[in-house]
Formats: sequence, structure tokens, C-alpha cells
Amino acid sequence: MLAEACTACGACYLVCPTVAQVPALAGALPETVMAGVRDLLRGSAGNEAAIAFAAACCRSAICADVCPERLDAAFLMRLASLRVRGALGDPRVATKDDPGWSARVKAFARLTMTEEEQAKWL
Amino acid sequence: MAVAPDMRATFWYGCNMARHGEIIRLSTRILEAVGVDAAPAGGPGYCCGSPQEKSARIAAGMAERTVQKFNEKGRDQLITWCPSCHMNMDDFMAPVTEAAFETQHITQLLQVRRDRLRPFLTHEVKARVLIHAHHGFNGRVPVNVDVPDLLRMIPGVEIVESDLRVPGHMCSALASVPNGLANAHRATLAAMADSGADTLVTIFHSCHREAVTLERGRAIQVMNWIHLLAAGMGLDHSDEYKDWRNAEDPRAALGKGRVSALGDVAFERLVEPELTKKPVV
Repeated sequence: MLAEACTACGACYLVCPTVAQVPALAGALPETVMAGVRDLLRGSAGNEAAIAFAAACCRSAICADVCPERLDAAFLMRLASLRVRGALGDPRVATKDDPGWSARVKAFARLTMTEEEQAKWL
Repeated sequence: MAVAPDMRATFWYGCNMARHGEIIRLSTRILEAVGVDAAPAGGPGYCCGSPQEKSARIAAGMAERTVQKFNEKGRDQLITWCPSCHMNMDDFMAPVTEAAFETQHITQLLQVRRDRLRPFLTHEVKARVLIHAHHGFNGRVPVNVDVPDLLRMIPGVEIVESDLRVPGHMCSALASVPNGLANAHRATLAAMADSGADTLVTIFHSCHREAVTLERGRAIQVMNWIHLLAAGMGLDHSDEYKDWRNAEDPRAALGKGRVSALGDVAFERLVEPELTKKPVV
């Protein structure tokens, strides 16, 4: 539904603070990027710039304040970001697995919590 | 600090805050001071799904299990800490699995009950504070306003004016941006210098565990906002993780007893790589 309502005007792209830090977005047109993001949300291929933009989304959420259609652009970008990371199909960008995450959290818990706290809090 | 509680809540501290048991402990005591009986819950057993979001099916399963576990606790309030957990609960978890509780962020609750907190903030803390503020999450919960508002109640604390707004909702999110964390830390140090602040105060845990390394070779201190509130209440707020992370030899800083209790292999595989990681700036 967000994809259908988005007009790909690029207002969200223009205020995003991460755009300048992503080399793949140098010179990209906001309208082209957002048309690609809209495609990604529909399950289509999108374009390279749209994939780079969605992959770089770090949830600054400034975009949510500027959409002329009053869409929750931050949520739209979150969904696009999940898609390119492969949440609903093949990933479009390389993603790092962190198989040690759970064991690491528990190891630190053993260092900073008493046994009683671990039993109650984890 | 004997205050009769009028709210029973679960304090969902997320997963990575297991590195800072004292923040969980202190948060619970601060909540207790404002009349909240808060039972901590977190770690991988209460996952919001974020670590597995490469797979919507796995993430959704974890999130469903977590909501069910909170429902089973029979407490009608959920107090969040982590912005990712909070947003996932709002956006994906509660809308999918019926939640028998209301959710609010710890900063919202303390701001509402600030008049109950004020009498406990009796200890002077001399600090010129810069808030490590991010752009994201503030639109959901006004943390960039509420945290400094709460800290201003501590005698001696001065919050410096700054337009520092780091991209993302917390520092771990910057992993998706080339040099994102390094740029964030450079901007933070520049804002410290410009404002004359001597204390950097982090709001979120993922920011704190990276920002503590900014103390190295610099005349600044890095604290989490909960540490600072605890200092104002006269509570011990020692940050062991910061000591370990900034030690030349983390193994020695932890001490033989704790390393052997954890196990050498676990220490070397799970703890030491993080504690010896080179700072980004």
C-alpha cells in the first residue's frame, strides 16, 4: 500500500543524512532512486541506486517529516531495507551473519550478572 | 528508597545490555524510586527479532514467542529500553500477536513521574554534559528532549547547547553506512570541543559500548544517562565494561577468577575480541 501511495518525488531522499556517505549514490537522481525503491517494495528488481539506498538505511527517520503525501517514509524505507537484506526472498546485498550473537550476549551476562539475576532476567 | 509501587511492569532491557548489568540494576532502582515495580527481562530469550531480520519467518517466530512470554508474566505494563525493540514492538510484534500490556519507553515513564524522581536527586554532580543525540527514534519518543530534561534535575549538571544529531536511531545502525560510526564519533568529538563539554552522555546501549573508547587519551568522561541519574541519587554507578574495554589488558582487568569462571575458551572466543577491538577514531 505504501508503494502504491508513493509518488517517487524524492523529497525523502533529499533530506537523508546518509546519502552523502554512500559512494554508490553519487550523482543519482532522487526520483530515479525512489522509483526503484517503490519497485523493490512491490517485489520487483528496482535499480542499483535504490538497492544501495535501501541497504544504507540506518533509520534516521527525518524522511518521515517531509513526505508531501504524508506517508510514513521511514517505515517505507524500513520495509525496503528488509527486502534488500533478504527478509522475504533472496538478498540483494551481501549481509553479514553473526552466529555468535546469542552466545556472546550470554557470555557477557555471566560476567555482569549474578547467577540469581541470570536465572530471573534472561 | 522505600516507595510503595503503584505500577507492576516488565522492564525489557533488550539483549546487548547484558554487557551492562549495572545499568539494568540501576534502571530498576530508579523505576522503584518513582513507584514502579519493574521485573527485568531480556537477552536472546526475549528477542524482538532484529538480529534475525534477514529472515522474516524466523524473526516473526522469535517476536511472537517474546510477546507470549510477556503476556504470561501478567504485568500490564512493558517498559522498553532499546529503540529497536520499542519500534519492533510497535510496528510488527503487538500488531501481529495480541499483547496483554501497554508499551512505553523508560524515558517517557520517568518524564511523566519526574516530580517523584526529583527528591532522590540530592547529590551534586559537576558535569558539563553533551548529549549523544541521534536523529532517529526521537520522532517516536522525544528522547532528545526528555533525557536532558531529566538530567537537569541533578544538582551541578549543566547540559550544553549543541546541534549534534548523529544519523540513524542508534550507533549499531550505522554499520550499514560506510565509515558511519567513525564519522559519528568525529562529529561527537567536534561537538564536545565546540561546546566545552567534559562529559559525553549516551542515551542508548549500542552507542555507549562504542563511545566509551572516546575516553582514551582525552580529558573527557563517557557515561550513560542512567549512570548520571544514579550518580545524582548517590548510587554506585561503576561502569565495569568501560574499564575492561579501555584496559590495555582486558584479561587482567577482568581478573583470573572471573575469566576462569567464564571459561578460557568462552573468554577468548566471545569476549576478548570485542574488548580488544580497535576504536574507530
